[in-house]
Amino acid sequence: MATEVLVPPLGQTVDTVTLVAWYKAEGETVAQGESLFAIETDKATLDIEAPASGVLRGVTAQPGDEIKVLSPIALIAAPDEAAEGPRPPAHPCSADSDTPPAPRPDRTTEKRGRGDGRGRIFISPRARRLAEEHSIPLEALEATGPEGAIIERDVRAYLDAHAGPSITPVARRMADGAGLDWRGLTGSGPGGRVTRDDVVQALEKAPKAAAVVTAPAEINEAIESIPLRSVRAVIAERMLRSATDAAQVTLTAEADATALVKLRDQLAQDGVNASYNDLFLYILGRALTEHPLLNASLEGDTIKVWQRIHIGLAVDTERGLLVPVVRNVDRKRLLQLSEETLSLVDRARAGQCTPDELSGGTFTLTNLGMFGIDAFTPLINLPECAVLGVGRIKRQPVMVGDEVVGREMVWLSLTFDHRLVDGGPAARFLQRVVQLVERTHLLMA
Amino acid sequence: MAEMSIAEALRQAIREEMQRDPRVFCVGEDIGITGGFGGAFTVTLGLADEFGHERILDTPISEIGIAGLAVGSAMAGLRPIADVQYGDFLFCMMDQLANQAAKMTYMSGGTVKVPMVMRAPVGSTRRGAQHAQSLEAFFTHVPGLKVVAPSTAYDAKGLLKSAVRDDNPVIVFEHKLLYGSKGPRSEAGSVSPIGEVPEEEYLVPIGKGITRREGSDVTIVGKLLTVYRALAAAEKLAQDGIQAEVIDPRTLVPLDKELILESVCKTGRLVIVEEDNLTGGWAADVAAIVAEEAFFWLDAPIKRVSAPDTPAPFAPVMEEFYVPSEERVIEAVKALF
Repeated sequence: MATEVLVPPLGQTVDTVTLVAWYKAEGETVAQGESLFAIETDKATLDIEAPASGVLRGVTAQPGDEIKVLSPIALIAAPDEAAEGPRPPAHPCSADSDTPPAPRPDRTTEKRGRGDGRGRIFISPRARRLAEEHSIPLEALEATGPEGAIIERDVRAYLDAHAGPSITPVARRMADGAGLDWRGLTGSGPGGRVTRDDVVQALEKAPKAAAVVTAPAEINEAIESIPLRSVRAVIAERMLRSATDAAQVTLTAEADATALVKLRDQLAQDGVNASYNDLFLYILGRALTEHPLLNASLEGDTIKVWQRIHIGLAVDTERGLLVPVVRNVDRKRLLQLSEETLSLVDRARAGQCTPDELSGGTFTLTNLGMFGIDAFTPLINLPECAVLGVGRIKRQPVMVGDEVVGREMVWLSLTFDHRLVDGGPAARFLQRVVQLVERTHLLMA
Repeated sequence: MAEMSIAEALRQAIREEMQRDPRVFCVGEDIGITGGFGGAFTVTLGLADEFGHERILDTPISEIGIAGLAVGSAMAGLRPIADVQYGDFLFCMMDQLANQAAKMTYMSGGTVKVPMVMRAPVGSTRRGAQHAQSLEAFFTHVPGLKVVAPSTAYDAKGLLKSAVRDDNPVIVFEHKLLYGSKGPRSEAGSVSPIGEVPEEEYLVPIGKGITRREGSDVTIVGKLLTVYRALAAAEKLAQDGIQAEVIDPRTLVPLDKELILESVCKTGRLVIVEEDNLTGGWAADVAAIVAEEAFFWLDAPIKRVSAPDTPAPFAPVMEEFYVPSEERVIEAVKALF
């Protein structure tokens, strides 16, 4: 009896995942609990374990496919289990030797050509070569060959059907850029080829489009077209919503971090290695306890003021911005925060955070100090109420009494959602943060 | 130019070579006996009268003896043309051919040559499983042997003469249905490829194939009898608008790969037809060469049409089913469109 391999449910917010890789090939033996495949959610890349031991068969999803959770993507069969029940012998090369082959298409009525219905296109090497020579997308080809494959004549048929006047590459880019259908143009080039001049003339005749025409030198082409998907798509959607839906106000304050820098050095001397992020998390844990309105979310028409303080830490990763959440910040010792943060950040960078580790924040901390940024206007991670941006700590001349002295200064930028909280409470919160940065002994109080 | 059967063309080749070079002699069973057939298929008929029994040498029924005599005399400087009545008996000679003849030149660093010719009739001709096999693939697999398989009278004469003059051991496979032998040795179902054969001296080079029919849509490679099956199929296919190119490699080792590859690059499809059993056959090797070297020119899977993996049946109706037919070739070709 074969076991279905399902895409596991991954928390309440994940509907679809992207298949990243199979660690086992079709027909390979796999042991229960062994990593079988990797998926990517909008938040993380995860290895999924094999649900049973046996032989991997009937793989229906390929890397890159988007798959709904709980959908079956393969089977794990017993090693001696050729297939379940009586089945017709499958073609040895068929992608899924464990499922009955599709009925042979009737070539007079059916034009398959789009492969096996699972994203694979069957095309002869000769036809593929020809299609590539002419940059024809394989999806556009109709299959009439043996076993429903696209063969050379299908590519030739496409070429014949799409034959028109030829066009120089520059002219084509100009025409395409201006949305001009150049196939209708009479070419003045050799052999009736449509040239740049023909396109310019045609565009001049069409006054509306003429404005779009630019000199060829100014035509820009994307060096890479990156589909907006996965992590990037989520960032795009969230950031836009944050910018348009929230009433964001940013307050900035300069704090004297001399005491904080000293505290960090002293801790380090005594064997406690904490980053500035760890120290700010610690400070925020205390400040948010005293200013609960900033530790809130707007859900529908209700402001939820949270009991627990879970702070998201913005991490710059190769896959984009990720915000792993450090939980119960106010209840943890600095060393605990430091260890947890280190591990979370490492896993975020390696794409190994679980979806749960990337959700549930009540406030966000973002730090651009390492890039030499002084102050900025961070965007709120909705539905949270506020985000604190930390700039670089820089030694500056400061007036203390009547004397100019060198002090370690830092800009703090607090963006808050004015729908939830007003400027007064937000300013008082920031003021308290500044105070805790400047007078670190108050953290003991 | 004279019209000749393959048996006659081979006889003329032997005669010319024996006249040209006194070192050339024939050895085999019943090849020169007075009142005999001139070997199993009349190839040496009458040659004993011309050259005497010293050079048309009859032996006891001992195939390994014939092969040993041929290898030894070739190593000693003669140029034997050995004859086996049925190719199936080559198995009896295997040690001499595969272990001795094929290896001597290599093992001696080129100082010893084995310029022998081993002629062997193949093909299924109502004689049952032990007189029916097509053994070409067994010998194409042994480095050190050259293997030729003429399918026309012209090639039979030209290739046999080249084989005699070659310093390597050459196995010449002849198809029983192609001899065109007359009288008591005429075969039921013979193709009789009688063709024009020049009286004058000519050679067909070993290692050069030939295109028997030009076409643009599919390449059919055949050898010996299956060349004719392929040609007949091609005629019928033409009526359906499919232009088949038919290639006859003539030499199996060394194989004229270029001719086959060029044709496949033109047509994009390949069907190989042979009378041998399917598994491990010569057709498999041709298919592999094309898959390796012309994959991106293929527009359809490569197909083999061969005998099934069973011994040849004795019952005529079953034998007819067993040997690749014109219809099977047509069917295989049509599946590629």
